[in-house]
Amino acid sequence: MLDDELLSVHLQELRRGTVVLACLLILKRPNYGYALLDLLDRQGFAVDANTLYPLLRRLEKQGLLTSDWNTEESRPRKFYRTSDAGTALADTLSRDWDELDTALRTLKGES
Amino acid sequence: MTIASSLTDRYVEAALSRLPARQRPDIEKELRASIADAVDDHLETGADPAQAERAVLAELGDPVRLAAGYADRPLQLIGPALFLDYTRLLTALLATIVPVVAATVGLVRGLNGGTPLTVLGDTFGAALTTGVHIAFWTTLVFAILERTPALRRAAARRWTPAALPEPPSRRARYGELVTETVLTVLFTTLILLSPVVSPETDANGHPVGVLSPWLWETGLVHLFIALVIASLGFSFAGYYLKWSVPVAVVRSLVGVPAAVMLIWLAATHRVLNPAFVAAAGWPSSVPGWIHTGLIVISVGTIIHTVVEGLTRALRR
Repeated sequence: MLDDELLSVHLQELRRGTVVLACLLILKRPNYGYALLDLLDRQGFAVDANTLYPLLRRLEKQGLLTSDWNTEESRPRKFYRTSDAGTALADTLSRDWDELDTALRTLKGES
Repeated sequence: MTIASSLTDRYVEAALSRLPARQRPDIEKELRASIADAVDDHLETGADPAQAERAVLAELGDPVRLAAGYADRPLQLIGPALFLDYTRLLTALLATIVPVVAATVGLVRGLNGGTPLTVLGDTFGAALTTGVHIAFWTTLVFAILERTPALRRAAARRWTPAALPEPPSRRARYGELVTETVLTVLFTTLILLSPVVSPETDANGHPVGVLSPWLWETGLVHLFIALVIASLGFSFAGYYLKWSVPVAVVRSLVGVPAAVMLIWLAATHRVLNPAFVAAAGWPSSVPGWIHTGLIVISVGTIIHTVVEGLTRALRR
């Protein structure tokens, strides 16, 4: 049996990058930082707040997300939405993920 | 929430102070909203406000780390892209410059008549100061490279198989070793025989040596020969042992002082015997030219030693 630390290192390596794809998919419907954190957590994409918030800004800077301040409610919140470029990237990444999935199934002899 | 909000204020302040001013207002608004959302969430599960805030901030972690994430700043002094170049350059500089400086300082102090203790102290002091300077400035340059994306991309060289260390041809190196041995033996023999075997004789029929008798009186000629022979010994060591930083250090430690000593002797016109020059009837400009020639050869030897050490260390 693997010890817990080693296991978590390997899981983290495997999941790195999936958070970006998950964000791009979820944010096809606009949402704000904390709600997104909560959603990701519930969908099984555990990510730390101090990783997610800077990541959102980075994706925005790369033109994959757009943002708007929503000031209608008492607490103004920054809403992010996946841009066209972000949607295109999400499609590419999803295809890649599917190909990887197929390749892994073949490796495991399921075909 | 009003009392405890000072903790949030301090947290936000700590994170923002490490960000460019133009990013601050937007990030502050978003960060405060995110913290408030998280605190509300905790309050719904029945925590008291102070506890909730503490838990949320603890979850967010070190504000400096968060700021580094926002600013896309590396959390390492020198990253993996530059680390190998950094260690190679540092090793090469330390292995060549420190011994040269130490040997020069030690030799100059020794010849100026310092006690063994002060000579040793000054030599170690010079080596330490030089080493610390090299380490500090090299590290600073690489830390700046790491933090300047444009420079970092330019500095990170692509590795090609051509950079692999060449296995030195053993036969070629053996030839070099034989040549060096023959030359050293010949050279030493000529120096040692020069006082008794000479084309010129004085009035009593005694030979007049070409080299200054002062060298024998002070014993410097024996020190010089000892250094030359030691240098040959380390060429053998370098041939039979694997090249390593300690071997390089010791080789330059013995090779460089002999050259430095020759420069000093030539610069102070102490190599040739004035009586011999007079007896041979050479023009007065000849000793000057010979001394200049010796200085040029010695400087060439030092440069060769340093460059050889550098290239070997860089190729490792």
